[in-house]
Amino acid sequence: MASVGECDGNPHPVAVAASEREHEGQQFARRAVQGAPARLLSVENLSTAFDTEAGRVTVVDEVSFEIDASETLGLVGESGCGKSVTALSIMGLLPRPAGSIVGGRILFRGEDLGAAEALRLQQVRGNRIAMIFQEPMTALNPVQRIGRQLAEAYTLHAPGTGRNEAKGRALELLDQVGIPAAERRLTEYPHQLSGGMRQRVMIAMALASRPDLLIADEPTTALDVTIQAQILELLRDLQRETGMAILFITHDLGVIAELCSRVVVMYAGRIAEQASAPALFANPRHPYTRGLLRSVPRLEDDPKTVLSTIPGTVPDIHELPTGCRFANRCPHAEDICRRRAPELEETPVPEGQTSPVPEGQTSTHRVACHRWRAVEAV
Amino acid sequence: MTSYFIRRFLLIVPTFIGVTILVFAVTRLVPGGPIERMLQEAAMAGSDVAASTSGFAGHGASSLSDAQIDQLKAYYGFDKPVIVGYAEWLGKVVELDLGTSTRYSEPVWDTIKDRFPISIFYGVTTLILTYSVCIPLGIVKAIRHKTTFDNLTSAVVFFGYAIPGYVVAIALLTVFAGNLGWFPLSGFVSDDFDDLGTLGKVADVAYHAVLPLIAYLAGSFAVTTMLMKNSLMDNLAAEYVRTAIAKGMAFRRAVFAHAFRNSLVPIATSFGNNITLIVTGSFLIEQIFNIDGFGLLGWESLVERDYPVVMGILVISSLLFMVGNILSDICVALVDPRVKFGSGESSQ
Repeated sequence: MASVGECDGNPHPVAVAASEREHEGQQFARRAVQGAPARLLSVENLSTAFDTEAGRVTVVDEVSFEIDASETLGLVGESGCGKSVTALSIMGLLPRPAGSIVGGRILFRGEDLGAAEALRLQQVRGNRIAMIFQEPMTALNPVQRIGRQLAEAYTLHAPGTGRNEAKGRALELLDQVGIPAAERRLTEYPHQLSGGMRQRVMIAMALASRPDLLIADEPTTALDVTIQAQILELLRDLQRETGMAILFITHDLGVIAELCSRVVVMYAGRIAEQASAPALFANPRHPYTRGLLRSVPRLEDDPKTVLSTIPGTVPDIHELPTGCRFANRCPHAEDICRRRAPELEETPVPEGQTSPVPEGQTSTHRVACHRWRAVEAV
Repeated sequence: MTSYFIRRFLLIVPTFIGVTILVFAVTRLVPGGPIERMLQEAAMAGSDVAASTSGFAGHGASSLSDAQIDQLKAYYGFDKPVIVGYAEWLGKVVELDLGTSTRYSEPVWDTIKDRFPISIFYGVTTLILTYSVCIPLGIVKAIRHKTTFDNLTSAVVFFGYAIPGYVVAIALLTVFAGNLGWFPLSGFVSDDFDDLGTLGKVADVAYHAVLPLIAYLAGSFAVTTMLMKNSLMDNLAAEYVRTAIAKGMAFRRAVFAHAFRNSLVPIATSFGNNITLIVTGSFLIEQIFNIDGFGLLGWESLVERDYPVVMGILVISSLLFMVGNILSDICVALVDPRVKFGSGESSQ
């Protein structure tokens, strides 16, 4: 594992972009902190399980993180690691009756959404917390006009809104997300729009009630690369305008570097590492995070070099190991890793580096690894 | 889209000719026919006469001379080749003349016309009852998937589906009309129907219709109910319903505001064909309850080799069927804006 050292020596290229974002993020965070309580969303030991034919499966296991007002938190991990289920748990959108929250709390402005009544959740959903999805193709109703779906997002939380007012607001929203010829688009159906346009419509719908938190579940995954960049740009601009916080779920570390101030790395239902984006890219501490970063192709690599991959596969969700879930793929694993699951522990900022933790935020560098010191030393 | 439907309507003409020429040719090719039937009847009548009067014994079988038979053939048009006969028949159909029934010796149209009220009554009632039960039932079953209610109604619906309608008919007739005497044994109306008042007439028709309707309906719930249920469940699991709930909509409202219309698309694909209900009808059920509907007429005309009636029914049912298909397409286009028929500008 000689190449691990590379990561430590040179800051990851995407980290440069991340630290630029970081500055912007800080400014907005501070601005928002003055008015509202800083702790917008606090997920505490959230566990979510699904009942399957083969018994109950815990898909999200004791996950905790916080999102402050106006900040962007990235949730990274590979498919099936529980990041989308975490988002759906927050929204109360778990597929019923199979999925349910089996432990922990989801505090939104101090109110536990996990224990909230259905009616209360309806008031929060789309109003204070909005969500956009991966597949804009199927996330819009194919047989309803764009205008109606947009207006609905608005009128649901502003009952008694007149037709014209709702239409005006829909127009405004389409303008805001940069859709040209908005007036005409209102009367069109989703299939008449391109993928990027549809995602813009989804974002417009999410913005309808000026939410405090936007959950974006892989919103760019289904789009062309050029469109991806436009959508990210749009989200960043909108955040600047509205001051909303974003929980950005992705498997793309490049996107995290573009957009997020802090990152939570998930692996097989648990948090592996949690840090500010610059710190994570500069000093990845979990062997999984290191593996992920090494798997990102870089411009300065020699052409046609074999891309580094993490060997092995994610453990079967029905037979999760008792110890560290990454142990079977980890080059540093020892006996203790297979025996006991590591706790998420605080790690100090490396010597000679200034703390990347912005003032007034609790973002520290935490890692769930028995051997992070040894890994660091390699 | 308009040009598409115009094309579809124009296509009815060649299809119609294809269907009718085929059946017309078959009626000419199969053994037996109106003339043979008449000869047979005459022979039987003759032997009866012979038996009773012991006069012209053995004379019956050839009561008609060959010349007379040829005359009859010419009268019915059987002396000409198939194609010429067909052309003549088609020429008359174009003039709205369906010919004369060989059995009743009255115009085919009059024979068919008499059956319309009965068949339309049963067709429309069945249609209304089927949709007004199946759609709400399908919705409730989709929302309460795998609950006791769902399982129980599934069992009932499939039980009805599994039993042939005529078996239901016989069972109902035996129990409720025969043993218990709650309902009349047969007929569309009572003998004294003409003497009844308006309310009395309605009640009389309904009274006679209960058992046949149950027999008709028993098997008709399963398909539409399950179609509605499955299609709604597909749509409830669709992401746009999740989007609607994520917007803050209550689940129940999302079902009707979003999933419902989408789930009607598969139902709409067969809706137009209901127009054929006017001329369909199970001859078995009609036979059992002695209802003079279309099913029975079609069956009897076949058995009696009453070919003008057979062809007349074919004309009406094939036209209705083709118009029904086009109506179905129009229905689909109405509920699904993505559907663009025929034109090059169709998107994706």
